[in-house]
Amino acid sequence: MKNITQNFEYFAPKTVEDALSLLSRYGDKGRILAGGQDLLLLMRQDLIAPEYVIDIKGISDLDYINFDDKEDLRIGALTTHRTLEKSPLVKNRFSILSEMEQNLGSVELRNWGTVGGSLCIGRPCGDPAPLLIVLNGRIKIASLRGERIMSIESFNLAPFEVDLRPDELLVEIQVPNSPPRNGVSYKKFSQLEEDCAFTAAAVSITLNHEKNICDDIKIALSMAPTAMRAKKSEEVLKGKEINANLLAEAGQVASEEAGTLTEQASKGYRKKLVKILSKEVSDQYRRELMKVLVERAGEEALERAKRA
Amino acid sequence: MKKLLELTVNGEHYEVLVEPKTLLIDVLRDQLGLKGAKRGCDSGSCGACTVLLNGKPVHSCSILALQANGGEILTIEGLADGPNLHPIQEAFLDHWALQCGFCTPGQIIAAKALLDENPNPTEEEVKTAMNGHICRCTGYNMITEAILDAAKRLQEARR
Amino acid sequence: MKEYSVVGKATRNIDGVAKVTGEARYTFDMTLPGMLYGKLLRSPHPHARIISIDTSEAERLPGVKAVITGKDTPGGKYGPWRRFPELMDEEALVTTKVRFIGDAVAAVAATREDIAKRALELIKVKYELLPAVFNPVEAAKDDAPQIHDGVENNINITRHIEWGDVDEAIKIADYVREDRYELSSQSHAPLEVHDALASFDKSTGRLTVWTSTQSPYYVQLGLADALKMREGDIRVIKPHVGGAFGGKISTYPEQICAAFLSIKTGKPVKIVLNRQEEFAVTRRRTPMYIATKIGAKKDGTIVTKEVKVIADGGAYTALGSTALYLVGIYSSFPYKIPNYRFDGCRVYTNNNPSSAMRGFGGPQAVFISETQIDRLAHDIGIDPIEIRRKNGMTPHYVVPGQATIESCGLHDCIDKVEQKVKEWGELPKYQGVGMVCYGFMSGGIFNWINTPYAFSGAMVRVNIDGTVDLFTQASDLGQGSNTVLAMICAEELGISLKDIRLHVADTGITPVDLGAWGSRQTLMSGNAVKAAAAEIKRKLMDVARIKLGENIVYDLEAKGGRIYLTLRPERGYSYYDIVKDAIRYNDGEPLIGTGHYTPHGKGMVSPAFTFGAQAVKVEVDIKTGRVKLLDIATAHDCGQVINPPAVRGQVEGATAMAAGCGLTEELLSEDGLVLNASLAYYKILRYRDMPHITTLEVHTHEPEGPFGAKEAGEGLTTPTAAAIANAVYHAVGVEINSNPLTAERVFKALKALKKNKAT
Repeated sequence: MKNITQNFEYFAPKTVEDALSLLSRYGDKGRILAGGQDLLLLMRQDLIAPEYVIDIKGISDLDYINFDDKEDLRIGALTTHRTLEKSPLVKNRFSILSEMEQNLGSVELRNWGTVGGSLCIGRPCGDPAPLLIVLNGRIKIASLRGERIMSIESFNLAPFEVDLRPDELLVEIQVPNSPPRNGVSYKKFSQLEEDCAFTAAAVSITLNHEKNICDDIKIALSMAPTAMRAKKSEEVLKGKEINANLLAEAGQVASEEAGTLTEQASKGYRKKLVKILSKEVSDQYRRELMKVLVERAGEEALERAKRA
Repeated sequence: MKKLLELTVNGEHYEVLVEPKTLLIDVLRDQLGLKGAKRGCDSGSCGACTVLLNGKPVHSCSILALQANGGEILTIEGLADGPNLHPIQEAFLDHWALQCGFCTPGQIIAAKALLDENPNPTEEEVKTAMNGHICRCTGYNMITEAILDAAKRLQEARR
Repeated sequence: MKEYSVVGKATRNIDGVAKVTGEARYTFDMTLPGMLYGKLLRSPHPHARIISIDTSEAERLPGVKAVITGKDTPGGKYGPWRRFPELMDEEALVTTKVRFIGDAVAAVAATREDIAKRALELIKVKYELLPAVFNPVEAAKDDAPQIHDGVENNINITRHIEWGDVDEAIKIADYVREDRYELSSQSHAPLEVHDALASFDKSTGRLTVWTSTQSPYYVQLGLADALKMREGDIRVIKPHVGGAFGGKISTYPEQICAAFLSIKTGKPVKIVLNRQEEFAVTRRRTPMYIATKIGAKKDGTIVTKEVKVIADGGAYTALGSTALYLVGIYSSFPYKIPNYRFDGCRVYTNNNPSSAMRGFGGPQAVFISETQIDRLAHDIGIDPIEIRRKNGMTPHYVVPGQATIESCGLHDCIDKVEQKVKEWGELPKYQGVGMVCYGFMSGGIFNWINTPYAFSGAMVRVNIDGTVDLFTQASDLGQGSNTVLAMICAEELGISLKDIRLHVADTGITPVDLGAWGSRQTLMSGNAVKAAAAEIKRKLMDVARIKLGENIVYDLEAKGGRIYLTLRPERGYSYYDIVKDAIRYNDGEPLIGTGHYTPHGKGMVSPAFTFGAQAVKVEVDIKTGRVKLLDIATAHDCGQVINPPAVRGQVEGATAMAAGCGLTEELLSEDGLVLNASLAYYKILRYRDMPHITTLEVHTHEPEGPFGAKEAGEGLTTPTAAAIANAVYHAVGVEINSNPLTAERVFKALKALKKNKAT
C-alpha cells in the first residue's frame, strides 16, 4: 500500500502564535496538517511533498463552538466535523449545519477531520463551503502580519486552490444568525447513498416579514468547478413570489452559470485529481443535476422559510 | 530524524521512535505487532484500519503516528477479556457476520464505538454509523443484525 | 427431507474466533526474519517495444539487494491454459514488448519498502511506442496493431456451441427479437490486495511461497512453469485470504517475481500490491459485446436462440477463454431451448487482461437472456413469470450434447419468488419489480490446467483418542469451505466438529485440490472429504461388526459418537472405543482414509447445476435517473444446505456484488489507463445502499453431491444486474442494454424515451 515517501521536518506547535511563526518561516515549502484526512492521502499518492509539516491538531485554543451576544456562531478552525455534528447548540440554532455534517463522509472521517481543514483543501465537491456560502459565512485568517476576514464565497479560487497565502492560517469560521422567515436547504447528489457528491446545491431564502415575497436569496453550487455562488440564478428569484416555475428557471440558469470542471485546474496534482472527477459523469449530466438540485433545495428552503 | 512517540495501546504503555512520515497504522502493525487492523485502500475509503483513539473511531491510515502522541488506543486485540470474547465478537460469530474477515476488526471496533455512544441504536442508526466500512463478502445486513443483537446482549449484561 | 446431525445445522465459522480477535494471519500480515520488500516496475504505455532497460543506478542504491528484468528469468512463458501451450502467452517480466499499462518490466528487492520504491524510479527503460487498440471490434480489423506475434486479427480464441438447427427453427417462430448489448468490466476489489511472500532455501533448492490465492495448486504449477523448477520443489501455502472472487485463481507476476528475487538474494521477499495496482493491473471481468436473437411461438415456447459475443480479452489469455465458453453455455440456461447456437470470439486488446470474476460469464449471460425474455414476454403479451415457467428446465433434462441436469429446483424457486412478489403488492408510480431466473455449475469439468491428478483429494487420519486430522487443499476465502468440509467429515463419521482439526491449503502436506473456482468445493472437495471419511467409517464398522457378532444382514450406522445397528440402536459401541480397537487391529498404525473425486460421465460442463430465481424492487427518480434498491428476494436451489448461515451469507454477499455490477460498479478507462483505480472512485455498495434481502428456502437432493449438496457461491452473482434492469424497465419503461445502470445512463435512456414518444 502507498506510504509517504518523502521525509519532512515535523513541528507540533501548541499555540497559534507558534504556528504563525513557523508558517512565516516555512510556509512556502511547508503545509499545515490538521486532521490530514485529505492532506495525508495526497502525500501518500506523491501528489504533494512538503519539506515541512506543521501539525496544528494539538492547538486546543482553536477547538471551540461559541455563540456570542451579537448572535454570530463562531467555530474554531480545528473543530472536528463530529463535534459540529453533535453540538446541541448547533442543532438548536443552526440545524442545517448538523444536517450537512451528518452526511459528510464517514463517522471515522468526521471524528478526526476538521471544518477548517476541509475548507482549506478546497475540494471541488466543497463541503462545507457551498452551505456556508449561502449562510453568509466568513472566515478569519491570521498571520504574523495581522488578521483578515473574508467571505467564504471568495475563498475558493479553483479546484484545490483557495485564497490563503503561504504564511496564513485559517483560525475561525463565522456564521451569522439567520434572519426571521429564513429557510435553508442543502441537497447533494451521489451515486451511492453517502459519497463525495457529483454536485450539490445550497439555497437560502428569506421571505418578506409580511408577504411571501423573496427578500433575499443565496444559491451556491459545488463542482462548478468548485464551490460557487450562482448569482444569475439568484436574480431569477429575488423580489418575486417564488413558485415551481421560477424554481425550475432558477435551476436552469444555475446549470448554465456553472463553470466546467476541467477548465480551471491548472497545476500538476490538481489537474490529475480533477480529471477523474470530470470522467465520473459528463459535464452535461452534471448540469442537469444542478438544475434539479437547485429546484429541490429551493422548494425545501421555501417551505422552511414559510414555517419559520 | 526520528522522534519519540508515546502511546497507550490496549492498556499497555509503549515508547517507540518513529520517522515523522510514519502512519499510525504502521506503528501498530509493524512496530507493536498488532496486525488486527488492516490496510485495505489508499484513499481513506474502506475502514479496515479503524481503531479507537481516545475513545473515538478513526482511520489509522490517515493519521500520522505522531499526531496520536500521548493518546490511548484500542485495537481489536484489546477487546476480548483474556479467553472471554466481547459480546460484539460473540454476536458476530453467532450471526455469520464475517466471511473473509479482513474488514472484521475495523467493523467490530467501530461497532463498539457506536454501542458505547448509543447503547440502543435503531437499524438505521447502525447502518449510518457503519457506512464508512466496506465489506466485499457479506452484503452488510448480517453484520447489522449482529450489532443489534450485541446491543441487546450488552444491555442484558448491564442488568 | 433427510435430517442429519451436523449437516443442515447452523454452525459457527471454525475460523471465526481467529478472525474476530484479529489473530488470523493473512499473507498481508506475514513477515519472516531478514525479509526484503519487493516492488514491480510497470509499463506506463499500453503497447511498446522495450529497447533497453538500465538498472545500474537502481542497483547502486543502498539497501537494494537485487534488480531483475525479463532477461534474468528462465524466459519461460506461462499461463493457466496449460492444455494449449499456444495460449500460455504470459511472462512474469516482459522481455520484448509490453501490451498493457501495468505490464511488469522489472522487479527490485530492498531492505525497506520506501527504498524499493525509490529504486523503481531509478530504473531507466527506453520504449519504442507502438500504436495501441482498446476496443475488441477495432482490434479484430485487418489494419489493427498486432498485439501477439503470429496471432492474426488479434483473435485469441473462438468458441462455438451448437445443437439443433437454428436457421430452420427461426422460420417457424411466431415472434423473433434481436437485442444488442455492451457489457462493461468490473473489478474484484477484495479487501486484501494481491500479495506474495517467497522464501528460497539454498541448502535444499526448495521454494516456499505464501500467497493470497484461491488455489495453491495452480500457483504451484504456474511457478514451476515460469521458474522451470519441479513442482515438487515448490511448496505453496495459503494463509487466511481476505477475499478473492475469481481474481486470485492463477499465478501472477508478483508471486513469480517474489520467487525469482528470493532465489537471487537468498532472502525471503515479499511483494504487496497497492490499491491502484489492484484495480488497474490485476485481472477484471470480461467486457462483452453481445447480439442475441430469440424466436418463440405465440404461446411463449422458445424455439430457437442465437448468441454472438465479441469479448475484450485485454493483453493476455488468462482465464478469459473460459469466461467466453461459459457465457455461451449460460446463455442457454435455465431454459429448454431446442435449437441453439453460440459463437464467441475473444480478441486481444491493449487493456489489462480480462479473466474470471465471480460468475465467470454468468452475469453477462443472465443479463442479456433475462432482459430479453422480459421484453419478449411483453411483445407476445404473456406474463413474464409464465414465460419462464413454460420454458424452465426440469429434473433430468438433457442439454443436447452438453450436460444432464439431475436435481433442478427451478420451478420451486419461481413459485417462491412469485409468492414474494405478490406480497409486495401494488406498486406506486416509478417503482418496479424485475424478476430473473438463472442456472449455474457446481464446479467445472473443463481441465484447462491439464492436471493428471483427481480434481479433489482428501485425507483423514484418526488418532487413538478419536481426534481427526482432516487434510484438504480446498481454499477457504471466507465463503466458509473449511467449516463445510469439517461438517461433512463429522457427519460421515458420526462425530462432532470439536473432534476435527483441519490442515488446509498447503501443497507440501495436503492432497491436490483444484481450489476455489467455479463454485466447486462443496461438491467436489466435499465428495473427496466424504469419501475419505467413508473409508475410515468402513474400517470402524468392520471392527464393530466383528465385536457385535450379529447376522451379516444387519446394517450399521455411525451417529452421535456411536456405531450401532440401525434396527437395534442400543446394540453398539462408542466411536472412541472402536477407534482404539481399530488401531490395535492395525498393528498400532493410526487410521488413514483417503478419498478423491473427479466427475465422470457428466459431460464437459459440470457434474451438477444449481438454479434460482430472484426478484428486485426498485424506485427510479425520473428527474435524475437514480435507481434505489428497495427490496430483494432470492430462492436458490443448492440441493442439501450444509451450513444454513453460510448459504445465507453467500446469498447476501453475492447479491451485493451483483447489485454493484448492475448499478454502480464500472472500471472507467481511457486509452488503456484505468481512471478510477481507487475505492473512492470505484463505487462499491455500502450499508446504506443495500436493502433488505430475503432468502427463500427451496430443497432438492443432488445425487452427485455430498449429502445431496450443490453450490451456493457464484450462481448467486449472476441474477441481480438483470433483475435491476428488468425492474427499471417495469418501473419507467426504458430498455437499457448496458451496465451498470448508473443514474446518468438511466437519465439518458429516459430522455431518449421521452423524445421517441414525442415524435
